[in-house]
Amino acid sequence: MKKTVGERAVLWIGIPLVTAWTFVPILAMAWASLMPFNALMNGGLLQWPSGMGLTNYKAVLGIATINQIFGGQPMAVARGFFNSAVVSILVAIIATAMATVGGYAFGRFRFPYRGTLLFVLLSVRVLPPIAVLIPYFVILSALHLVGTYFGLIVTYLTTVVPLLTWMMTGYFASLPIEIERAARIDGCGRLQALWHVTIPMASPGIAAAFAIAFLTAWNELLFGIVLTGGTAKQTLSPALLAFSPTMPSGGANLGMTLFAAGSVLSAVPPLVLALLVQRYITRLNVADPVTLQGD
Amino acid sequence: MSAVAKSLARSDARFALTIVAGLVLVNTIIFILPLLYAAWISFHDRDVILHTQAFIGFGNYRRILASSEAIAAILLSLKFTVLVAVASLLIGLGIALVLNEEFPGRRLLRAAVLLPWAISEVATATAWMFIVNPTFGALTGVLHPLGLVEANHAWINANTALYWVALAFVWHITPLCAFLFLAALQTAPESLYQAARIDRAPAFQRFLHITLPHLRPTVMLVLVVVTVEAFRSFDLLFAMTRGGPGTASQTFPMLIFRYTFEFSRYGLGAAASYILVAIGMAITTVYYFVLTRRRRLVKIDGAAAQPSGTRLATAEKTAPS
Repeated sequence: MKKTVGERAVLWIGIPLVTAWTFVPILAMAWASLMPFNALMNGGLLQWPSGMGLTNYKAVLGIATINQIFGGQPMAVARGFFNSAVVSILVAIIATAMATVGGYAFGRFRFPYRGTLLFVLLSVRVLPPIAVLIPYFVILSALHLVGTYFGLIVTYLTTVVPLLTWMMTGYFASLPIEIERAARIDGCGRLQALWHVTIPMASPGIAAAFAIAFLTAWNELLFGIVLTGGTAKQTLSPALLAFSPTMPSGGANLGMTLFAAGSVLSAVPPLVLALLVQRYITRLNVADPVTLQGD
Repeated sequence: MSAVAKSLARSDARFALTIVAGLVLVNTIIFILPLLYAAWISFHDRDVILHTQAFIGFGNYRRILASSEAIAAILLSLKFTVLVAVASLLIGLGIALVLNEEFPGRRLLRAAVLLPWAISEVATATAWMFIVNPTFGALTGVLHPLGLVEANHAWINANTALYWVALAFVWHITPLCAFLFLAALQTAPESLYQAARIDRAPAFQRFLHITLPHLRPTVMLVLVVVTVEAFRSFDLLFAMTRGGPGTASQTFPMLIFRYTFEFSRYGLGAAASYILVAIGMAITTVYYFVLTRRRRLVKIDGAAAQPSGTRLATAEKTAPS
């Protein structure tokens, strides 16, 4: 159908605006990450100096050294990548399994106090992470578990599992129950039906839940700083932040190009994952149990 | 219902209860017990150097609520939340309206729009630092040659810090809003639009009379999601301004962090986080009742009384491809 003037105006103004809004900050960071440090400081971001290249990336991964002030930091970033990968993958696996089972129970069945328990899940979702962090920090320090994967993984689970259970509840509620019921009446056991019928049907939602859990753990900063900061198990975000000019250790702007390169690298796994499960993530968000509750 | 189905339904309920009981048990161990422990901590004055602690009842709470620094931080948190909620609602709706139109490269732009949401808040802070940095930032780089600002203009200062941090946070969270809106837009009643076109209603009128009423439930949903995210946010503020300059962007979570991990005042920090929890709970409760009340209203309309099969069809349709 032919577009009206209004629609064409939306497109002609809207597309460039949306593109600029999305890409300008990312491009600024990516451009700076390719610049030699001195060029950035002397000429600013908006230039094409000589010596553009991957030097900052090599430095931040510890392959080359360019900036003496951050002597040990590149090693910490490389290690941060590894630590974050270990923690995020484990969190994603455990949280997805728990949320799938929980969401199945909440989304498929009616039982006493279901509404109350869902409300508890929703309210757990709004609890600020820092409220959980204080007791965890005290307990884990007493148990000498600060600076371990275990302590960090448990704290991440506390924030991720309620959110994902909430999402999976809505997702399971939106799946048709008829096929599963037919399988049951044909003599399939409950767990068999769950495993062979329902979980395959729900696999897009499960994939999205996995992605969200991974993203949350990979991108998180606060728990990482408090529970692993400065230790051998330090995750990526706190390791990167050491380059930041706002940190006491940051040495003004001295780390800015390394900071940019590290941040760009840190964004690669989430970007790939988000693009892979993009369409499923949307569907998971749409199906929230408050608005889609089938009762 | 047949006898078989009935007995299945009964054992189903038991099965579900078993699972949920397990989940609740795990949640209790990893979540509720630590929270109770936090309450205990909040009633004590703990000295980390002398390893002593004294029970002081609500002393920590009183001290916080009497402190002008804490009250300022709470107000700043609320201001930040409102700013982020309003801005991301509007920008998210705008993005969704553009992405809902058909144009070449739409799928590509749709995927790309998600990027700011996928990267971490630390990376978000880094990206925006290259926009607003006084020495080498893009903003000064563009505006200084035009003579609009002096060189080394401090974009982030005591008056503006909160707005810049809010803007960066909006940038980070908006893709989520846009996708929620986009999903809702794709279920908008096409027949109404066609009728409006035949009547030659201008685009703006179509938006006002068809699109907006259709989006009302989504507006609520987006508000809930964004409010929660903004109210609890810490990472971006910490990475971008660390609450500064001075205390210009020191929201309540930032202050709790300082109490606890910079001054080692665990009791004070725990008490403050309980106050934060109370405010968060109040906001959620309001939202919850608004959401459920709206659902009941819709049900009376009969609009939501569709069989589950139709609902699935809608859910499938809402997934943008």
